[in-house]
Amino acid sequence: MTETFHEFVVHRTPALSRTAYLLTGDHQLAEDLLQSALARTYRHWRRIRDTDPEAYVRRVMYHQQVSWWRRRRLTERLEAQPTDRPGDDHSETTALRLSLLHALRGLTPRQRAVIVLRFYEDLTEAQAAEVLGCSVGTVKRHGHDAIRRLRATALDLIDPTVERSYQ
Amino acid sequence: MTARLRETLHAAAADVPAYPVYERALATARRSRRRAVVAAVVVLVLATLTGAVLPLTRTPVVDPAAGADAALPDRIALPPLGALHATDRPRLGPASVIFSGQARRLQGWDEDGIIGVVSADSDRYRIFSMGYEAPVGEQVILSPDGRYVARPAGLSEDGRVDLIDLVTGRTRRLHSKVTNSVGTSPRAWSPDGRQLVVDDTVPTDPTRSGYRRVLSIVTLDGERWTQLADAAQQPIFGSSVAFAPGGGRLAYQIGRTVTVADPDGRTVSTFELPAESWLAGKGAWTTDGALTLISRKAGSTDWSLRRVDSATGRNTAPLPVPGVTGVTAIRLLGWGPDGSALVVAYQPEPLSPDRFDQPLELDQRTAYPNVRGVRVLALTPDASAPRTLMTAPEQILAVDVADNVINAGRTRATNPPGMVGGRFWFWGILITVLIAGVVAYRSREGRALWLDDRRRRRSR
Repeated sequence: MTETFHEFVVHRTPALSRTAYLLTGDHQLAEDLLQSALARTYRHWRRIRDTDPEAYVRRVMYHQQVSWWRRRRLTERLEAQPTDRPGDDHSETTALRLSLLHALRGLTPRQRAVIVLRFYEDLTEAQAAEVLGCSVGTVKRHGHDAIRRLRATALDLIDPTVERSYQ
Repeated sequence: MTARLRETLHAAAADVPAYPVYERALATARRSRRRAVVAAVVVLVLATLTGAVLPLTRTPVVDPAAGADAALPDRIALPPLGALHATDRPRLGPASVIFSGQARRLQGWDEDGIIGVVSADSDRYRIFSMGYEAPVGEQVILSPDGRYVARPAGLSEDGRVDLIDLVTGRTRRLHSKVTNSVGTSPRAWSPDGRQLVVDDTVPTDPTRSGYRRVLSIVTLDGERWTQLADAAQQPIFGSSVAFAPGGGRLAYQIGRTVTVADPDGRTVSTFELPAESWLAGKGAWTTDGALTLISRKAGSTDWSLRRVDSATGRNTAPLPVPGVTGVTAIRLLGWGPDGSALVVAYQPEPLSPDRFDQPLELDQRTAYPNVRGVRVLALTPDASAPRTLMTAPEQILAVDVADNVINAGRTRATNPPGMVGGRFWFWGILITVLIAGVVAYRSREGRALWLDDRRRRRSR
């Protein structure tokens, strides 16, 4: 039986939320990104519901995250009150996680998307290129640049041999 | 190795909650759909407006032969408010009628003498400004094919005639070659449209205490400038110039004398006019080589045409056409294919202090203050009364008709344009867009904050 849009959102929102957070590094922006991607998915639901809607949402999220228009909209805004999240754990889960979040903020949206696709979604370079709509060479270049920057800002995250694998 | 990176990414993602975005995603999708519909409507409206405005700036070239179906409109109206100018796009093409007068819409903002132009085969109206009162048919004249309008250059003291091409929208300048000329007016077109008779006013001394007038025939490129007459300033000086049908002769009146000359300026004959008679107008030549005079019956406002020998001025065979009564004057435009004489009849202004049943010079009889309106009449041979071919609102006080329209003998029922013309819409839309742009620019910060706040409220 074909899944309804509501069922799809209920079932897939946790996983999609995680990807959105890694792409943006901010809960508010991640919500915004996921909301936009789902809105677009809803408009095309009839066409994509019988294929792979989750892949479509992910593709939309990656594209929106690296698009010029979205980068302009996602300007930083000071909240009157900080947003409390159950998962926020400032006491620390680990210093490594903080280091990761800090380091990811230093990447360009495209570099960050490549890192998430390659090392969180575990896609191959070819699959990542397909999702981002670019060439494998472009994925390699962004991946290489991202790793170099991560090494510079969060040395403990990257094994020294990784950079060579991109060369 | 990237194990640590992978592990840390998964650890960071593990604590991320499922964002409650379902309702908001639906609202966003519906809002986007509404915006798309609004945008489509806006694009449709803009496309429609563009389709209306774009022809003003870029349109196909008008076929010069478009006047082939030229016909005399059965009535003319005042040009609409904000009418396009004669040189605006889309080009008008050849004209059938031009007119001038003292109606409000022919006065402009500063009594600048608006001339109206009517298309040869449709009810499209155009205008151009003279800068002062310039009666058509006397100072502003339409070429035989209706393509060009010849007019004095305006208020500048540059002795020059401007030739407005209604097909291309270009204006050609014809500079006078008469020394010290302070003003040049066109008087008549040759039948082939390649030559023009012009009248120069020249001061007789440096203080300009007096003037003389020079009548010349010129080619449109200004290369050939042949003097026809040079005489002292007087009321009637070439105000009626008529070319014979083949262009081999022309007749003009100076004072009470009619001169027949050839295009090289050689005088062929001259004769004196009897009292209350004048050379009839640009259509004064008949096909059999005689000249036509207009005459007023003494003590009345009854006018008639009579045919005279072009060499002696003596009456020849009578013209069996009806007379015109109750007018200040008539002017002969030409002859229709059925032998009808087409004349402009000047209706008297009731408030005028002048009496038109008494002797009065012709230039005073057609002066704006003495005229209330004009009509074009056909004086058909053996008819009992004139037939009205074209009417005009009061205060349209002078008309000129293209020769090809007269010769074709066609008239057409008309439906003149409404209250506002192309320039009104062009400027109206442009000013509205500019004001909207200024308002949008000045309120950009407030609007951005409002949109942002709304977005934030929806996302909570």
